[in-house]
Amino acid sequence: MTRRQKALENLNREINDHIEQDTQDHIARGMTPEEARRAALSAFGNVGLVKEEIRAVWIPIWIDQIFQDARYGVRMIRQNPGFSVIVILTLALGIGMNTAVFSVFNAVLLRPIQYPNPERLVSLSTQDIVFNSEAVAKADWMDWKDQASSFERMVGYGPSDQTIATGDDVTRARVMVVSEDFWEVSGARPVLGRLPQIDETNTLLLSHKFFEQQFHSDPNVIGRTIDIDGQQVVISGVLPEQFRFQLSPPVFPGFDSVSDVAAYRPMLHLPEQRVRSQNGVAINLVVAKLKPGVSIDRARTELKAIRTRIAEANPKWFTNQKQLSVLPLREKLVGDARQALWVLMGAVAFVLLIACATIANLLLARSSTRQREIAIRISLGAGRFRVLRQFLVESTLLALLGGAAGVLFARWGLAIVLHLIPQAIPRLTEATIDGRALTFALSTSLFTAFFFGLSPAIALWNVNVHNLLKDGARTFSATSGSLQVRRLLVVVELALAVILLSGAGLMVKSFWRMNAHGPAFDPEHILVMKLQFSGLQYREMARQRAYVDELLRKIPSIPGVQAATVTSPGARIFLFVEGVSVPGAAPPQAAVFNATSAALTRVMGLRLVEGRWMTDGEPAPVAIINESIARTVFDGRNPIGMRVRLPGRPPSMATVVGVVADLKYSKLDAKPEPEVYVPYAHTPALGRLTVAVRTVGDPLASAPSILKTISSIDKTQAVFDVQTMAEAQADSIAPRRFSLFLLGIFAFTALLLALIGIYGVIAYSVRQRTHEIGIRMALGAKSGEVVRMMVRQGIGIALAGIIIGLAAAFAMTRFMGSLLYDVEPTDIETFAAVAIGLGITALIAALVPAFKAVRIDPINALRYE
Amino acid sequence: MSTKDGNNRIELLQGTLDLLILRTLQRGPVHGHAIAKAIERNSEDVLQVEQGSLYPALHRLIKRRWISVEEGVSENNRRAKYYSLTAKGRKQLDVETTKWDKLAQAIARILRPAEQDGKP
Repeated sequence: MTRRQKALENLNREINDHIEQDTQDHIARGMTPEEARRAALSAFGNVGLVKEEIRAVWIPIWIDQIFQDARYGVRMIRQNPGFSVIVILTLALGIGMNTAVFSVFNAVLLRPIQYPNPERLVSLSTQDIVFNSEAVAKADWMDWKDQASSFERMVGYGPSDQTIATGDDVTRARVMVVSEDFWEVSGARPVLGRLPQIDETNTLLLSHKFFEQQFHSDPNVIGRTIDIDGQQVVISGVLPEQFRFQLSPPVFPGFDSVSDVAAYRPMLHLPEQRVRSQNGVAINLVVAKLKPGVSIDRARTELKAIRTRIAEANPKWFTNQKQLSVLPLREKLVGDARQALWVLMGAVAFVLLIACATIANLLLARSSTRQREIAIRISLGAGRFRVLRQFLVESTLLALLGGAAGVLFARWGLAIVLHLIPQAIPRLTEATIDGRALTFALSTSLFTAFFFGLSPAIALWNVNVHNLLKDGARTFSATSGSLQVRRLLVVVELALAVILLSGAGLMVKSFWRMNAHGPAFDPEHILVMKLQFSGLQYREMARQRAYVDELLRKIPSIPGVQAATVTSPGARIFLFVEGVSVPGAAPPQAAVFNATSAALTRVMGLRLVEGRWMTDGEPAPVAIINESIARTVFDGRNPIGMRVRLPGRPPSMATVVGVVADLKYSKLDAKPEPEVYVPYAHTPALGRLTVAVRTVGDPLASAPSILKTISSIDKTQAVFDVQTMAEAQADSIAPRRFSLFLLGIFAFTALLLALIGIYGVIAYSVRQRTHEIGIRMALGAKSGEVVRMMVRQGIGIALAGIIIGLAAAFAMTRFMGSLLYDVEPTDIETFAAVAIGLGITALIAALVPAFKAVRIDPINALRYE
Repeated sequence: MSTKDGNNRIELLQGTLDLLILRTLQRGPVHGHAIAKAIERNSEDVLQVEQGSLYPALHRLIKRRWISVEEGVSENNRRAKYYSLTAKGRKQLDVETTKWDKLAQAIARILRPAEQDGKP
């Protein structure tokens, strides 16, 4: 029994005792029992009222009334199920989108890194503008580690995709090579097995996911020896399920996505890696942990001093082109995603505002039918504040239901987004609907309740009770105030929709610009896949070449295949041009050297601008450059016949025989790279290859036979990442697709809600003026005139919304600069398209109810009420 | 609070009931029915308290911590709630009594100015 029930029972007993005693007193004075009881009851007064009054003493009256309002609210919601469902769904949409975006925002921007003392973790890198890389030479890192006193630990790490033989299966997986400090900095504790000991290098630690997928969670794998890229290593442990690699992802060429790390290997430290030479260096990424109390500025100053000493000791080595960057790890991790997330968060908040306005509009429309009820309540003595509270309680109930449904929506939405574009944003896969996201959803619901609950209450503030209750009074006429509020709400909706549509429009245009390519390059019909030589037998270039020769001989004979080629994008290296570059000094330009075959032009549709393309079996080394190089390095001089230095030792020279057009085939949103193409026969090593095959039909249909052919050459060499060129390109702009996808959905929702809004207002005004329209038509007004009359106000609303929206969009799109590609944030074309498009759809939304007005039969209209 | 039989009984002023209850409890713990009877008796049946209205007043006073309540056994051997003054209630009774005296004098002065002024 609750305390309240007990107290009520006590009270009942007390009152009964009182009456009983009074009755006894009366009997003692000589009354009959019936008379006595009647007298006692009448002396006591109204028992129910007394109890009510006492309850009011117990509980402050407003709490009681809120429960009353809530019960009433529930009744109203159940009485209008259709209306309630629409409101709840609209809200669920708004709150769900907001909660989903917030959970991503939370995971990426707000939630700290899960390693101990994340605030002390800093990312150290030397950024090279020419090479567009930010790795640290291993020799530098080792000197920093020995000399710097600001850091407690300094982790060197580097990813590599390696071929792992797990029993009879061979798979490619991302392996992170980490120095021993990683285990201390990450605080990782294996759930099975143990961490590698210092100087124990032939061991492997599995991530939990990889352990499950490849080893079926078999605990006996600990101690098992497996083959990685031809090396034998022992599995020493399995990491916990929730453990994530959270150091900054690499930006090496070739490592495009931040896929999950499958396994960890200890880093080898070779003495020769401390030697600085021009021949190329081992590099890795560095994250360090500051000592407690050491500021990041002090650490930066110290590192600069160490670098100066290194530069003095190695004058030839140090080219001063590298910039030191010392950033908090958290900032480094988020990178460019920060702006995109803020833009998305703002956009989705606008969607919620529009949803609120839509619901406020719906409630206003309904409140006109509830005026009589409210008038009765007011005339029976309900204060206006009581009526206001009634509205707020009702809207809170709706908002909480909407919020609950919204959380479900958010979970689905998040699952879909994670499934579609997991690599869009670093740490995106960590996004979950956690306590913070739920709190966010709840507070958003309450905010919306206040927003959309208040507006009908305000519109009804000046309800004229007397007029409303007069018999036969026209209920609609008293609500011109409410119509004003509704028009205003629709203007706001349209303005917000214009902002969102402009943002989405700019992104669509960016995409269009990114995907613009020549007609010969047809990514839909190109199949690409990756291949990396592994195993001792492929250490020799001759073996690699022989493999490629056979590959290029066999694949084109498969039915449906038009042409096949390989490209091996080497690292960017300095472009040394004989007679142009100054010997001894570092050349100012770097270029990507692609080892490829003659078929590249046919596969990719590469257009020759000058000279000739390569053939298979060139007698002497040749090079073909792209227009970017011709423009910048040769600067107007004819490059044909000039000689460039090829990568590798000893240096060899190749003669430039042709110039081809720039082609963006890997990263769509980057500027065209300066590229040099050389025959694969003349390159010192191939290493990682991309096989590209042009097919007649669907490339994915030909994929099985192509893969079978490749595996028939040497089945120990695994092919991976098989996809069409179009898919590969789409992946390269995953972050932008993520933003566009979400902004597009937001803008579309906004448009839909705004159109419903304008339709609703016109329809409402038609209903309100049915009588007047009837009279006009009876007096001979043409239907065209009536339509014009009704649409005119719609146009007014639309124009106001569009103009305000354009002004706001003009001011706001500049915040999305980094999301755009080759498009100005204030692109006039986009703005004009949005304004015209929205104007036309708004006109249609207004025309539909206006035509309904014309179809009104004057007789019926005049009989109306 | 209503008149019962005829015009010879007076309705209570707002808040007066509280004062009467406090005064009744001055002599020690009393149960509900007895409070009603005591008020009636002591006013020589002029003041008619609608007995039911006594209870909301009692609960209000408990909430203000001017009186406290405990279970006890009534004269006819039934369990009953006994109300008694708290220290705070005792102080309040003094305050209310003083206030009441002032009010009564002031009203008397307005209603019969001559009599009042005539007596120095």
